[in-house]
Amino acid sequence: MILEHAELKRILPHRHPILQLDRVVEFEPDRRIVATKAISGCEPCYANLADDADHAFPASLLVESMGQAGGVLWLHSAALAGETRTGTLIFGSARDLTLAGAAYPGDVLHHVVELETVKGDNAFMRGETRVGDRLVMRVESMLAVLREDTELAQREGD
Amino acid sequence: MTTAINQSKMDELREIAVEVLEVEDDEMTETSMFIEDHDADSLRAIEILARIEKKYKVDIPQAELPNMVNLQAVYEVVARYAGWQA
Repeated sequence: MILEHAELKRILPHRHPILQLDRVVEFEPDRRIVATKAISGCEPCYANLADDADHAFPASLLVESMGQAGGVLWLHSAALAGETRTGTLIFGSARDLTLAGAAYPGDVLHHVVELETVKGDNAFMRGETRVGDRLVMRVESMLAVLREDTELAQREGD
Repeated sequence: MTTAINQSKMDELREIAVEVLEVEDDEMTETSMFIEDHDADSLRAIEILARIEKKYKVDIPQAELPNMVNLQAVYEVVARYAGWQA
């Protein structure tokens, strides 16, 4: 199953410029996703960067991009199974994260994310990001959650 | 409720909790409170629960989370669902 960019917008709440995923190239419901993101020099993160600065794609955006791939795996699997999921999709945590390399404008990130367990509105995943054969990032455990807006508003008022 | 403690199981639970909450081993006692003493929140709590379920291959309902306030309470909940005998 291939999911194009427009279809990803029906699954994820993210939009330009923070929708950090271009296409899903492999999808096994409840198990595994392979998704790509092409990095371009037009990304907002490069807009005001000094010419001689390091142009490595920021680690925070690598994690965000992988997290979105995980979000698609979880939420689209649920939708295919006829489950209704509501609430705001939130990145919970990443543990045992290894940055093994860097990615630059012109590179295409390949995220492979596997769903480990879903506990209520909480999904645990693990994943790897490569550019070609080269490992860029590995995350042994990543948590994504859905929380109702009311619950979030309460937390804000704590 | 009194539960006779299996110390090696308690040590395993402590290992999970200190890792998720990112505190030093000796900072956590069996009765120090996850939220009040160790800055836990609902996301950390669900991580602890998921790791326990994976390690002991047991299913613990999320409804038990509010009861799992410290190591001693976690032990009691897990013992109940995993059928640990004294």
